[in-house]
Order: sequence, then structure tokens, then C-alpha cells
Amino acid sequence: MKTNIIKFSLTFLLLCILGSAYANDAGTAQAGTSSDWLSWIFENLILIVGAIAVIGAVGAIFNLNNQLMELNRIRVLKEHGIEVAEKVAIQHKQSLWQRWYKDMTKAVPVEKEADVMLDHNYDGIRELDNILPPWWVGMFYATIIAGVVYFSYYHIADKGLSSSEQYLVEVEEAEEEVKAYLAMQSDQVDENTVVMLEDENELALGASIFINKCAVCHGAEGEGGVGPNMTDNYFLHGGSINDVFRTIKYGVPEKGMISWKSQLRSSDMQRVASYILTLVGNTPANPKAPEGELYQPTEEDEATEAADDQLGMNE
Amino acid sequence: MSNLETFSYDNRIVRKFAYVTAIWGIVGMTVGLLAALQMVWPIFNLGLAETTFGRIRPLHTNAVIFAFVGNGIFTGVYYSLQRLLKSRMYSDVLSNIHFWGWQAIILAAAITLPLGITSSHEYAELEWPIDIAIAGIWVVFGINMFGTILKRREQHLYVAIWFFIATWVTVTVLHIGNNLELPVSLWKSYPVFAGVQDALVQWWYGHNAVAFFLTTPYLGLMYYFIPKAANRPVYSYRLSIIHFWALIFIYIWAGPHHLLYTSLPDWAQSLGMAFSLMLIAPSWGGMLNGLLTLRGAWDRVRTDPVLKFMVVAVTAYGMSTLEGPLMSIKSVNAISHYTDWTVGHVHIGTLGWNGMLTFGMLYWLFPRLYGNKLYSTKLANAHFWIGTFGILFYAIPLYWAGWTQSLMWKEFLPEGILKYGNFLETVTQILPMYKLRVVGGTIYLVGVFVMMYNLVKTAKTGKFVGDEEVQAPSREVAFTGGHKGEYWHRWIERRPVQLLIGATIAILIGGLVEVFPMITIEDNVPKIESVKPYTALELEGRDMYIREGCLGCHSQMIRPFRSETERYGEYSKSGEFIYDRPFLWGSKRTGPDLHRLGGKYPDSWHFNHMYDPTSTSPGSIMPPYPWFIEDDLDLGMTIAKLKTLKTLGTPYTDEYIENAVEEAKAQAAVIAASLNKDGIEMEGLADKEIIALIAYLQRLGTDIKPPAQAEAAE
Repeated sequence: MKTNIIKFSLTFLLLCILGSAYANDAGTAQAGTSSDWLSWIFENLILIVGAIAVIGAVGAIFNLNNQLMELNRIRVLKEHGIEVAEKVAIQHKQSLWQRWYKDMTKAVPVEKEADVMLDHNYDGIRELDNILPPWWVGMFYATIIAGVVYFSYYHIADKGLSSSEQYLVEVEEAEEEVKAYLAMQSDQVDENTVVMLEDENELALGASIFINKCAVCHGAEGEGGVGPNMTDNYFLHGGSINDVFRTIKYGVPEKGMISWKSQLRSSDMQRVASYILTLVGNTPANPKAPEGELYQPTEEDEATEAADDQLGMNE
Repeated sequence: MSNLETFSYDNRIVRKFAYVTAIWGIVGMTVGLLAALQMVWPIFNLGLAETTFGRIRPLHTNAVIFAFVGNGIFTGVYYSLQRLLKSRMYSDVLSNIHFWGWQAIILAAAITLPLGITSSHEYAELEWPIDIAIAGIWVVFGINMFGTILKRREQHLYVAIWFFIATWVTVTVLHIGNNLELPVSLWKSYPVFAGVQDALVQWWYGHNAVAFFLTTPYLGLMYYFIPKAANRPVYSYRLSIIHFWALIFIYIWAGPHHLLYTSLPDWAQSLGMAFSLMLIAPSWGGMLNGLLTLRGAWDRVRTDPVLKFMVVAVTAYGMSTLEGPLMSIKSVNAISHYTDWTVGHVHIGTLGWNGMLTFGMLYWLFPRLYGNKLYSTKLANAHFWIGTFGILFYAIPLYWAGWTQSLMWKEFLPEGILKYGNFLETVTQILPMYKLRVVGGTIYLVGVFVMMYNLVKTAKTGKFVGDEEVQAPSREVAFTGGHKGEYWHRWIERRPVQLLIGATIAILIGGLVEVFPMITIEDNVPKIESVKPYTALELEGRDMYIREGCLGCHSQMIRPFRSETERYGEYSKSGEFIYDRPFLWGSKRTGPDLHRLGGKYPDSWHFNHMYDPTSTSPGSIMPPYPWFIEDDLDLGMTIAKLKTLKTLGTPYTDEYIENAVEEAKAQAAVIAASLNKDGIEMEGLADKEIIALIAYLQRLGTDIKPPAQAEAAE
């Protein structure tokens, strides 16, 4: 028997060592990102559950072994002619769960229900006098307490944030996050820094955005509809890439052009603005009459264009 | 004591109600199926105003609640009440007035709702003449019930009857409270309360229509039919007492959980949430008493379809009454509200609890009414499995759809913009789930047809007993009090009047504490100077919005969340709704919120969008509304409408009312001109309905400037 105990203990110890070695491994890998014990538990949940299962299994085997040994002892004693009082090794005992279940329900068993049968009889319907299930009563009290605490916390002690205060906190936190994110990005453009994109892939992306979002009002080919024609050289709100970008970003609500800044990221607005400017000069089937002013690039623009041309000629 | 009296139970009235229950069930669910199809394929709107989703949805809800479940209640009450009291119904004439009156009301609803005659209060859509008829018939039912109770042969009232009494008194109070309205004409009225107050009263009603029409009467039925079908004693009499009083007292407080994170003052929201949590235990008391009554009969559940139906019904009741309180927790509601989660939740309750209990009851009842055996137990078992699978196929996709859509609404890109800025993307994403829902609904409906066949066959093979003769001793009227050591509650069980008064007090407290301060204390709705009444034309547009049931799919209530203010604009303030009679906050967003729609799109966008929604929003499932463009606007009632509103407190000047028609025409001309400018030309454009609707939509949410614009203006 002693050897058995030693064997079990050794195996168990070995398992623990293995487990903790693994745990250490996981711990070091995670070190730096999470230090508190709660997240450690969470990250090693499988290991912990596994360890509990192993301990349980070892305990069960140990228990079984003891019982077999006891039976063996009785048999040996019997062989020697000694009667042992039948202290049966395998004795039925209520498990913790069964006892708890009984405490929580306190139901009178069906066989004994005559004891709690009331003298009520309605069209043959009888009523038992079972007591309220204790778990149910507990739950009722718990919810009442929760309700009272909740209401007092918010409206009597005035500790909690109101809906509108929660909103301000949410927006503020989000704004900070966005700011932090944008600070890490290099490709953010706005209406002042935006430049015309020439790359074909970028323009193709711009074209797909145009079809999805803009074509409804401006026509699939930019011929115009509810919104103005995009293929002529006349613009209501300016025809430079900066102007088009601005119009997309902020919209012109009084004319029905919505603001897209909550639906498109700035790089996408740059793509679609660039694509729109490539439409100028196309001849779609049903063009809407020109609106706005003829766009003439400013001197600065001309200068860059001239420079571009120069470069083109040189090439 | 031993003077046995011979009398008979009236089974004819039970049979009548039983048949119409099944028939209206089929009708109501078929209409529901149509609505489900419309949400996937707009073609099922059939191109008619009368069959468009906005009008079909209230038809479905009213039909299944008041026609199917309503008649189910009356079937069960008329059967069980007579037997529990050992007495025939008080008056056969009243029974029949009740029956035919109720069917006439249903018919009136089935005609007026598709015609667009609606007050827009959910589950109270019917207009004032029908409301009065409902009140009248309900009183007839009450007199008949109390008459029977008073001439009973049984000394004490069984728990089922407590529930019937509480149902009757609460529905009376709710129905009157939520239908306080001032008529403009025979088919048009405006509610007495406006905005936030109207919203609170409506959901005090709406929530308790669920509580006292779909729940308490059915608990009463459960307390009769489960012990009868299982032939087992009720598990715990004490539990019956506690959960009955706790349930009716607490339920009435929970209404504001339909308005979490809206403009309703925070204190009312918190009360709604706290009391919803407290509702778990009282609701589960009913489930426990139902399920535990089956102890010792579980082996029969395997073979007896009636018990099967009841087990699933009670389980569904338990699940949805746990889910409901969880959805009332503000942080959960922030996710669930406006989505299909709510729709899934409701259908667990209605298809599971009400539907299955009704089916179980009918399967039990028919062989008893016809003195034979059920035509086919096999078919009934088949119906059970069909129904159960139908519920699963219906609910699971909708839960999935609700969670998916809610997460999509709230998802931001790290740049701080919405990932799904276009609302439509979140709709097309869940269309496959809507298709599965159609499958689920169809399965469930097939089950009802199977039942209908089975019941008719049962009726044909049996012999109906119209007057069931029985004997019982008369009641000792001068009852000298109960025996020593009896429960204190036995006292009130012998006194129906006191029981009625007790129940009335229990249900009035919560309503008074919540509704009264909202109506009387002005601080609850802070005034906003810039908020002005609607113009005559806008008001006509608004009434069209009501007529078409737009609020079935569009909310007008932006909650204070970043994801909503980013998508829709500044969150809604209670002061903005003071002239909203009725309030139009809605409860479901199949389409986007419209509270800040005004000025977002040009007039021509709305024109095109109404004519064919897919022209401006490709892939939209919104039905087209060509009749707005074809039909002329009727200004014949405008002055009467303004006068009515003035009586209710909207500050229109007499001068404005006098010139209302001219004012409306002037405003219409401006809108028509703006449409012309965008290339929309047609004869008599300025006189069309669409002009009024555009006027209203462009006004929405523009009374207060969003802070960003206000800053820029300074």
C-alpha cells in the first residue's frame, strides 16, 4: 500500500512540475503585457481546468484503491476464519451536490405528497402545500436588493453617470483614441494636403466607391442626375482636387450633397475625388447641362501642370 | 349542505370561441408570413397601399394578439370558469354578445388597419370608435364573469380565477389610459398626451398588454389545464399566492424598459429596469408551479401530445421571462433595442408560450366537447414537433440577425468613422436570416393547418354536447368563516369583490408612481425655445407618415451613443417632442432612424426615393410608395385638425388656423418649385401628397441646431 501511495504521489508531483513549467513558460511569454493574477488565470484557464481534473482523477483512483484494499483485507480475514462486522466499504453517501440540491428545493417527494395535500378541490384539481423553493426565494430577494441598490446608487446617492454624462465620456474617450491612432498614421490627408492620385489601382478603388456611393445622384458615368454633371469643366464648388475633396468631406447640405466624412475614410475620399477629376472631358450618353462656373486652374496649378508637361516632354 | 342542484355548463360558447381561435390563428399567422416575405422581397407588398408592410404589420400583431390569443383566452375562460365555480355562465345572452361583438371588432380592425386608419400606438392602433366598442364588449365580458362568480356554487376562488380577475381590471385600466384621444372626425383622432408623456403612457400600456393579455390570462389557463391534463395536484399553493400578487404588482412598473436610453427621464428608465429584474422570480413562480405540477407525470409527457405542448409552452414562458429582464438591463438594451433580437424574443413568448399552450388546450378540449377521443394522436404529436422546429427556425435566425446588425451599427474604424456608414449594408447582411425566418414561420403555420384538420375530424366523429348536465351542492351564502389554522389568504378567496379591489390597488400603484409625475411635473420635459409646432402642410405629411405605418421600420429617437450621433446627428432631446401627437419614436429599425432627416437630402431625393426606393438606395427592401405621387393631398380636414390640436394645447393662433389651407398651399408651392429645379415636372405637382410628406421629412429634427453647426454660426 505504501508503495502505491508513493507512486501516486510521484506521478502527481511530476504532473505539477510539468504544469508549472508550462505555466512559467506561458507566464514569461506574456510578461510585460499582463501582470495581474486575474488575466493570468484567464490565459491559463485550460491548464488550470486540466490540473483540477487530474487532481480529481488521482483522488478517485486513490479512493477506489483504498476500497479494494479494504475488501481484500476482509477477504483475507475471512479466510482466517475471522468474521468482520460487514462494514461495507462501498457505502452510499449523499454527495455534496445532492445535499445542496435538496436544501435548495425542499420539495416533498411525490410518494409522500399526501402529507401536504390541502383540502382544496376545484373541478377535481387538488393543491399541495409545498413550501416556496428556497432557491427561488433567494433569487427573488437578490433581484429586489439589486433593484434597490441600482436605483439608490443612481438616483438617491447620485453616484452613477446619467445617460447624457455617459455619452460625453464615451465621445471623449473615443476622440482621444482616434487622435492617438491618427498620430501614428502617415497617410492622412485633408483638404489642404490632398493631391491628385495618378496610380491606376488607386483610381480603380475610387471608381468602385463612386459607383457605390455617388452614382445614385451623379450618374454611373458622372453624367449627372439629381446632382450635377461631373464630366464637364464647370463646377459649383470649385474644381481643384482640394475643392472636390472639401465638397465630398463636408457636403453642401443646403443643395442636398451630404457630408461623407462619417462614411468614408480620408484616403478613400482622396481616391474618389481623384477619380471624379479623371471624368472631366468624358462624353456620357445623357449629360446634364453644365452648372456653376468654368473651372480655370489658378496660376499655381498652371505652373505645376506646366512643369508636369515639361517633364513629360523631356521623357 | 346536501341540497344537490342540477344545472348545465354552456359548451356552445366554448366551441364558438375555440373555432374562431383556430381560424384567426391561421389568418393572423398568414398575414405574419406575408410581412416576413415583404422584408425579404419587396415585391410581396403587391404594389397596393393596403397591402404594404407598414399597414400589414399592425394587422398581423393585432390579429395574433387580440384575435388568436384573445379568442384563446375566452375559450379557456368560458370553459374553466364554469367548472371551477360549478355554475353556468351568468347569462347566455351576454356570452353571445361578447362573442359576436369581439368578432365584429376584429373584422373592423381587419378593414380599418389596411385602410391606414390607425392611431399608431403599437398594439393599440385601432381608432376611437373601435376603442369604444372594445371597452363596451370588455365590460360585457366583465359583467358576465363577475355575474358567474357571484352566483357560484364553490366557496373559494381558485388561483386561475384570481388571474382572470386581475386580467380584466388591468386591461380595462390600460385600454382607457392609452386611448385618451380627441376625435377630429369619425376615423381620425389625436392623443391627449404628447411626446415623452405619450411615449410613457403607450409603453406602460404596450408592456402590460404583454403582461395582462398574453401572460396573466394564460397563466390562469395554465393553472386549469395542466393539472387537468396531467391529473396531478398543483405543486404549491403558497407559491401560487406569492407569485400572483408579486407578478401583478411588479409587472405594471416595467413599462419604461421599452424606452431605455431614449429621452425619457433617467429616473423613470431606472425604475423600469429595476422592476424588470424583480420580475424574474414572480414570472418563474408560474413556470415552476406549472412544471413541478407534472412531477409524477413525466412518463406520460412522452406519449401525451397535450402535455408535450404544455411543457414546451411553460418552458418558453420561463425562457422569455428571463430573457426579458436581461434585455431590460440598460447595457444589454443598448445592443438589443431596435434590432431583430426583440422580434425574436417576442416570438419565443407568442409562438412558444401562447401558441403552444393554445394548441395543447384545444387538443385537450375538443375530445371533451365532442365526447370522444382525439382523431389522431399521431398527427397531434407531429404537430408538436413541427411547431417546435418552427419556433427554433423562426427565433434563432432573428437572434443572429439582431446581434449581427447591432454590432455592425456600432463598429468604428480606428480613424473614428463608422465601418458601415451606409445603413443599407447592415440590412443586406442579415437578409439571409430573414429568409430563414420565412422558413420558420411557414413550418409553424403548417403545424396549425395540421391541427385544424385533426380538430375538424375529431368534431366530425364525435357528438357535440351543448349543455353538459352536472350536479353540485349550492353554496352556503352565510359562510361562517374558514376552519381554524387555514391560510390567511383563504379569506380573500371567498370575497371576489375584495379580491378585485386588492388587485386593482396592486396594479394602480406602479402606474401612478411613474405616469403621474411625468404628466404633472413640467421639469421632466425641459422646454426648448426654438421648438415650434408643425405647419399645416407638415402636419398633413406627418399624418400620412402615421397612415402608412412608417414607424414600423423607422425610429425617430437617436440614443445618446457615439455610434448613433455619428450616424444620425445630435441625440434626441425630450423638449423636441412636445408637439408630437402621437409620439413616433418607433421600436424597430429595419430602416435608419429619421429624427434628424430634415435637410439631409434634397427634396428631389425624397421624391425619387418614395417613387422607387431602389433608385436612390440600390438593394433597399423598402416598398415603393407611388400613390404619394399619384394622389392629390386632401386639405379638407386641415382646419379641423389644427383646431383639435389647439384644444389639446398646441399653440396655434386663430389667425393661422383660419388661413391654414392657404399657408399649406404656399409652402407646397415652394417645395414643388425646388422639385422643378431638379428636373421633376408633372401636372399638379404642388397638389400631390408627396409634397406634404417631403415638408414633414425636411422638418424632422431641425428645430434644434446640432452643436457643431451652432458653433460655426457663432
